[in-house]
Amino acid sequence: MRNLVFLFLLLSVTMQAQTKMSATEAQSLKTLVKRQALTTKTIVSDFTQYKHLDFLSNDIITKGKLAFKTPDLVKWEYTEPYKYAVLFKNETLFINDEGKKNQVDMGSNKLFKELNHLIINSIKGDMFDEDAFVITYFKTGKNSEVHFVPKDKNSSKYIETFQITFNPSGDVTEVKMMEPSGDYTKIVFSNKELNKPLPDAIFTH
Amino acid sequence: MRFLLISICLLLVSCASYPKKQHFQLDNSVSKSIENPYFSDETKDYVYKASIDVYDKHFGGLLIIKKINEQEHRVVFTTEMGNKLFDFSFFEDDFKVNFILDELNKKILINILKKDFKVLITEKINVTNRFSEADNHIFEIIIYNKKHYYYFNENQLSHVIRTKNGKEKVQFLFSEINNHLADQIDIKHHNIKLDITLQSITQ
Repeated sequence: MRNLVFLFLLLSVTMQAQTKMSATEAQSLKTLVKRQALTTKTIVSDFTQYKHLDFLSNDIITKGKLAFKTPDLVKWEYTEPYKYAVLFKNETLFINDEGKKNQVDMGSNKLFKELNHLIINSIKGDMFDEDAFVITYFKTGKNSEVHFVPKDKNSSKYIETFQITFNPSGDVTEVKMMEPSGDYTKIVFSNKELNKPLPDAIFTH
Repeated sequence: MRFLLISICLLLVSCASYPKKQHFQLDNSVSKSIENPYFSDETKDYVYKASIDVYDKHFGGLLIIKKINEQEHRVVFTTEMGNKLFDFSFFEDDFKVNFILDELNKKILINILKKDFKVLITEKINVTNRFSEADNHIFEIIIYNKKHYYYFNENQLSHVIRTKNGKEKVQFLFSEINNHLADQIDIKHHNIKLDITLQSITQ
């Protein structure tokens, strides 16, 4: 009996935590995020990444900085506990691994091209492509959470859903990539600044 | 005829066992079983920043090793950004691929990785021969039908040599050791151009 009460409590809590949006609510979120993405010329933000593997006692935590400049410059840089930076620029992926420099031509690699596209779009939150994803909208308190399930079978082997959390002003605060196994990567953004002028020097290899 | 004799002699020399070539002394006074402590703590999540250099190509990622229970170790490799590249389970006499990226799903590659990681995670090992040389105690151990030589210096496992036909094939070096944790591990292959460097970021 006590278990049953507990179960009900748990259910009501989860139900409160996440409810499906109505079609109009979903539409207005989409409009808000798209407008936000259009007016966003630059983004700088700190991030904390949690790699969750079910068999581990603790998530693996890494931290770093992100810089974005329209239309498609992205620098994704880990600073703790190691130094590693990826720069997406002109169809090329530049990697700086503790000083060891490397580059990958994305034009020749479909997987990297898609990855680049997904990263840019998920930073801006603009992944509302009904042809590529089955999209479901949720409310979680003041925030919104949108689940994107890739339709392409090849992608869904690696990522089952992208779950993006938006704050009330339509900014991305969290991205979670769920693997079919139940393991996931969660990225939480903090100290995010929009449209701050960024020198090109940030985006050099 | 003299030529034949020389070749036979040469053949004999080159076929000499690894211990003979290294001038090891048989030493039966030491223990018959040894332990590799570096991945033996079930409460620990072992996380290493990995660099792999293979034929002039450089790859990076995270190597994650966890002892699940007495019978099982999980070994997972992800990119720095968290994408899983492979996920293996090692059991006492068994091995399972839980996941591998299509691009990496090649039998040769899986076999190399399986043999290398088996050496890292194998804990309690029965010794077939015991030797000593200078300050080292050396233990001969068979893993996947290959002779491996475990070097202990002052009761600390410093390196492992895998041999084939008496020749050194792969070297496993453990350094910067604190409390049964090897902060740096280097795996060097001599027959193929493959070097794996692991730097601990265990939290």
